[in-house]
Amino acid sequence: MTGSSVPEAAERRLATESFSSGLTVPDFAACLQMGLRPVGLVQGFCAMQWGWYGGAQSLRGLSPLGVGDGGYSRVWYCPHGFVSAEHPTWGQNAEQTWVEDAWAAGFDSAFARMLEEARALGANGVIGVKDTSRSTQANVTEFHVLGTAVKLEGAAQGAASDPWSTYLAGQRLAKLIEAGFAPVSVVATLSSVRVWSYCMTRALMEGYGYSMGAIGASGWAGGGSLGAAQEVDQVTEARIAARQIAKERLRQRLGGDILHGALVGSFVRELGEGDQVVECTLRGTRVRRFKDFDPIEAPVVTVRLS
Amino acid sequence: MSGGNPEGLPKDVGHRLEELERGLFTSDLSVNEFLLVKEAGFHPLGFVMGSSIYHTGVQTRRWSKSQELTKLTEAMYNARELAMTRMEEEAEVLGADGVVGVRLDVNYYEWGSDAAEFVAMGTAVKAEDGGSYRNVLGKPFTSDLSGQDFWTIMQTGYVPQGLVMGTCVYHIAHRGLAQAIGTVGQNVELPNFTQALYEARELAMTRMQDEATRLEATGIVGVRLEEKSHQWGSHTIEFLSLGTAVAKRGDEVTLPKPMAIISLDN
Amino acid sequence: MSGDDIPGAAFADLRAEVARAFAAPEGKTSGTDRGVTSDLSIDEALLLHSIGWEPIDLIFGASVVSIPVGIWTWGQGALDPASSAHAMAMTSASRRMEDQCASVGGHGAVGVRVAIEIHPRHVDVELTGTAVRPVGRAARRQRPFVSDLSARDFALLQGSGWAPVGLAFGASFVYAPRRTAGTVLRQSTQNVELVNYTQALYAARESAMERMQRSALEMSAHGIVAVRVDEGPMPFARHVIRFSSWGTAVALVAESHVGRQPRVVLALDDQVVQFAPEALHGG
Repeated sequence: MTGSSVPEAAERRLATESFSSGLTVPDFAACLQMGLRPVGLVQGFCAMQWGWYGGAQSLRGLSPLGVGDGGYSRVWYCPHGFVSAEHPTWGQNAEQTWVEDAWAAGFDSAFARMLEEARALGANGVIGVKDTSRSTQANVTEFHVLGTAVKLEGAAQGAASDPWSTYLAGQRLAKLIEAGFAPVSVVATLSSVRVWSYCMTRALMEGYGYSMGAIGASGWAGGGSLGAAQEVDQVTEARIAARQIAKERLRQRLGGDILHGALVGSFVRELGEGDQVVECTLRGTRVRRFKDFDPIEAPVVTVRLS
Repeated sequence: MSGGNPEGLPKDVGHRLEELERGLFTSDLSVNEFLLVKEAGFHPLGFVMGSSIYHTGVQTRRWSKSQELTKLTEAMYNARELAMTRMEEEAEVLGADGVVGVRLDVNYYEWGSDAAEFVAMGTAVKAEDGGSYRNVLGKPFTSDLSGQDFWTIMQTGYVPQGLVMGTCVYHIAHRGLAQAIGTVGQNVELPNFTQALYEARELAMTRMQDEATRLEATGIVGVRLEEKSHQWGSHTIEFLSLGTAVAKRGDEVTLPKPMAIISLDN
Repeated sequence: MSGDDIPGAAFADLRAEVARAFAAPEGKTSGTDRGVTSDLSIDEALLLHSIGWEPIDLIFGASVVSIPVGIWTWGQGALDPASSAHAMAMTSASRRMEDQCASVGGHGAVGVRVAIEIHPRHVDVELTGTAVRPVGRAARRQRPFVSDLSARDFALLQGSGWAPVGLAFGASFVYAPRRTAGTVLRQSTQNVELVNYTQALYAARESAMERMQRSALEMSAHGIVAVRVDEGPMPFARHVIRFSSWGTAVALVAESHVGRQPRVVLALDDQVVQFAPEALHGG
């Protein structure tokens, strides 16, 4: 992004003296008592499209995909002895790094634009950040981050570094700071794992329990025996891998600090015949310890009479 | 049910209660309630429940005057009684002194608009000091008191005797409703309506009090009155009055003097 | 944090804290946090610390178990394949979370969010929670516990000598019994109990609870608290009714239950959000 990508309309809105804020009344009061003065509502927006570029495949190739950058990949091979057009002999869980990178680019753009608006107001930080990303049509995702820019009373105006930001506001923010943690930044990532099912996965997801080597002479379609419940290894692993990847990607943005108030979102898109895409979002506030921790005493138990 | 006796428990129940007798306890008390029940000197034994699916159909007729539908009243009462009795039987099998946190639910399923399932569930408890807290009928007490309310009432020297209920299914005449529409916009009491609903509520509460008398209770706490139309349309309402009958026991224990606070628990 | 009771002084204290928080030079970290991730709220984190425990890392468990095709069509009695799939999925997901917990050095996980989805051909279970341990303690030999207790309830139980052992759960699925036309006519004017119906649903409910109890016994628990029961028709097969019950399996770890006489209070506040920085201190 070169120069300011914040629309002209935003510049006009931000130039007026009065402020609007997304804070509730109690949060607003709490803010003032912390010495944080709201100066305006700030937002950033970005629409991204991805899909076929970056090497994405929707049709199964002849052999498993290569996943670059040390991304997660695991291949399963069919244990049965025969090959047919409908019997996939291999399956793979593959991390879709291009999707993850595109999501990160979209979120970072929207986020950077919000901080730019905040800086234009001379703000020190942005609180009560709300962020929504939604897919409008296939392969288009809109990122929208919104927050209340605040000035810290007594602090230097027009700070050189980026304003700090947090999802928290009001009393919860006060408690965080009283406990010795300072918010640094809102952080968010997405992970994406594509499941190309192999024969066992496909059978199990359709409800046919096969044990290794127990294929009947009647073949594939409908000839399976009604087996007992079995765990679907490939899909289970994909679900866990997606979460682990999201956590590790996020950890890289923490710089050794703590992720507070993590929020996990999980989405599964079934593509038929056991294939699916598992995506996981992880959001939270990066916080830094600014003083030694002083634990509170164990609270007293009470019974209310009211 | 075993031997055609509607009061008997199905045999599947046996296993579950056995496990509870061997020492595992289950309770649907929250952690707060669990700790308070322990403070009151009781230990939870197990989650107990009873249910009964009852036919509750009614032929809709345009009765010309408001009246109680006694057959339906009987049905609603019997169904809940059956559910409660089965729950008490499970509690007896466990050797309980009482059941706390009793919930009475009505479930409607799609396979029968004229049948409903009545469920009673709660946690059976036993006194740790070995004293008997059963009521005058020799049965474990039942109460819909929460863990907090149970602890509080035990501090006052009163002991629960049983969950008491009274019910009345009342039909409000159609003509009464038409009259009501005619008076829309005016501030006027509707004598027919008032009479009908007054009578219905009184009947429900009187029946509840009769149950308390049978338990030789000193009073009833936590009385609430519920009104439901179930599946009968808006002209037929069930009035259900519920409470926990209590009796004074032994010396009065003074509740510790309360202190005023601003709550810190968000 | 000076403990002054004058409101003005307290707020001045808070402002000083806030100024100090943001005045600290950039790039300085305490160094010992190693990118800890946690989904606990600040209240929960503080309560945990007040009993000497700390969060370590966000951990997960998951399991997808297939359900044999054709079981949802009309039949009689209980649907055992569905209940065993449900049980297998919960057990496997819990076990995976316990493994993750052990690998990060946790003694257990609290505040675990349990998401169970039953589809026609498979059961999906997903667990999310934060691994915790007593501050500075190394991993222990026992299997870590997985519990859906909030940090608050966990702190309360610990203080009374009880510890969570794991998630106890049980489910059963039953076909709703049909009534024949003849029976319908006969019963339309009578007040009568529908014995077959009662029996079928009673048995299914008891079965779900029995499975829950058994899962607790397998963990060598002494009891289950906060049992919740849920029942209703399956969204994609409304003639099948599902009963599930779940709760936290607990065990007494102290010599005996530690009683704590509660203080009786009369709260003077209404249900309005209170802003009180002193709220962090107990007592």
